[in-house]
Amino acid sequence: MDRLIARFAQEVENDIEIVTIYEKAGIQREIIQDNSFISLQEKHPSAIWFERKIYDDFGLRIIKTYDNRPLTHHERFPNISPMRKSFTDTQINEVKFKPYRYKSIKGDGVFNVSVGPIHTGIIEPGHFHFSQAGERILFLEVRHGYKYRGIEKMCEGKELDKIDTIISRISGNESIAYQIALYQIKEQALGADEVVPNIQHAILLELERLVHHFTDIGFIPNDGGFGASLTIASLMAEETKRLLETLTNSRFGFDCIGKDIELEKNREILIEYISKMDKDIAWFEDWIMDIPSLWDRLDTTGILTTEQAIHYNTIGVVARSCGLKLDRRDNEFYKQYGYKLQREKKGDVASRFKLRIKEIKNSLFIIKSMLNDFKDYSSIKHYNYEDGEYLSFVESSIGELMLYIKLKDSVIDRLFIRDPSFINWQCLHLMMTSDIIADFPLINKSCDLSYAGCDL
Amino acid sequence: MIKFWKKRIKNSILTEHLEYDKELTNIQKELKSFISKKFASSLSIRMIDSGSCNACESECNALSNPYYNLDRLGINFVASPRHADMLLVSGVNTFNMYHHLLDAYLQMPSPKYVVTLGDCPIMSQNVFDESFAIVGDVAKYLPVAYHISGCPPSPNDIIVGLLEFLKRLK
Repeated sequence: MDRLIARFAQEVENDIEIVTIYEKAGIQREIIQDNSFISLQEKHPSAIWFERKIYDDFGLRIIKTYDNRPLTHHERFPNISPMRKSFTDTQINEVKFKPYRYKSIKGDGVFNVSVGPIHTGIIEPGHFHFSQAGERILFLEVRHGYKYRGIEKMCEGKELDKIDTIISRISGNESIAYQIALYQIKEQALGADEVVPNIQHAILLELERLVHHFTDIGFIPNDGGFGASLTIASLMAEETKRLLETLTNSRFGFDCIGKDIELEKNREILIEYISKMDKDIAWFEDWIMDIPSLWDRLDTTGILTTEQAIHYNTIGVVARSCGLKLDRRDNEFYKQYGYKLQREKKGDVASRFKLRIKEIKNSLFIIKSMLNDFKDYSSIKHYNYEDGEYLSFVESSIGELMLYIKLKDSVIDRLFIRDPSFINWQCLHLMMTSDIIADFPLINKSCDLSYAGCDL
Repeated sequence: MIKFWKKRIKNSILTEHLEYDKELTNIQKELKSFISKKFASSLSIRMIDSGSCNACESECNALSNPYYNLDRLGINFVASPRHADMLLVSGVNTFNMYHHLLDAYLQMPSPKYVVTLGDCPIMSQNVFDESFAIVGDVAKYLPVAYHISGCPPSPNDIIVGLLEFLKRLK
């Protein structure tokens, strides 16, 4: 089955068209009639959120759907279509509270548990609605949109060079990936036939992945009640953040891509860092694999089968832990530096945990071999961007990130971001069906999806 | 477990091996006495993200790593607004989230303080434009006692900022 990558609407001349992007079939377009369009939900369950977002953004009716509730327009949102060009307000007024119809299971002894948007830990806001039979989770509905900032609308009408700081701060976990995606679009808009891979960018991207993975291998066991791993792994994450600060002046690499960053100067620091991390992660793996009570908790928890992973078009760590070969880094450029696609088979929390350790080791190896091969890159100096539609893909620490920009009269006419989390959130409820509610934090953390990137 | 203890003994206490440790220790000492005076030895913080990019949250999580070890100063992040003395707000104030933010403030017992974290809660400081989905500065809706700026503020900045806030309470 062809993988659905993204689906969104945009205004063209006097019409509205729906753009659907598939992995094999590429870009498909369809002009809207009667303000309605036919749903793809039957074939691609992950189209649901895309279509609900189209409904919110443009006010288009979805035909043949079983879910037409608003996604980002919450209870007090007025009835507006913010992505239409005619909408220019920067302030909206609240309307009367309209309850959201949660999907839940009803029955004797079955009860609902609402979690969020304010959670117990220091995490982002999102809502989880459980239907419970005792401790057993029967069903979970994930509801997001609390962090909806209207970034797509904010970028419209701006020049391509004026959105770097905003793109940088969409999701702190994937900042460098977002910046690289934008950089690739700039290169395309300058007329480059093919985007030349840049080693400096690749190294920074791997460092970002390392920060994210180190944090996760600490937090996953921590949510299973094993706090010592967080202590050790947070040290590795902290050291990586400090290294990023030395290299880019920001602990998250904000606003670094496209600037003159000379990693070559810091080669010694990088080499020292790699050799220390190589030792640390080897020790960590050796230690954590030897703790049976932890593995009792992680094994067979939160299983996503390979069939489900394909059907829900999952990407990134979640897909690779189910055995799918999906990675945007799977190309000649990365392979020459020792990249190997890492996979696990079982699709449970333990697989995602082990996969992260494998990817950490591979990332360290990639950075090490890239250090011997610095080339001179000239950053973009002239700014004559051609109008047109551009698409770029980057493998962020969560998964494949897609950025679409349409330039018209030298300004952005439409910007669409498909964060990997947006797809993967939609399959989270499938992992819960054979687990108890206490396993939820563990399963959620093992996917570690972004809320900010999903809401925009 | 023997492996862990071996490493633990070999590493010893990492908090004492920072290059800027002296400065940090001074700040931390000062902070500790303030906290004992003002909040019966422990300042409880409830952190709420009203639309940030997760960098501020990540830095607050980093505060509990062995390098910063905020807990030993008697400053804790707590699970509920009902346990908190201080509401730490990060991120732009979004239309969908600000009601929940106000709810959380109402749930807190008095005396209560609001501190904003990072550049986002102040629209003139952050990188975002006015938008229909953002309702504006947090200070418009809540009595903000102090602001810790930075995008994102480093863990060290956060500790220094908390100290400044407590100094002003004197």
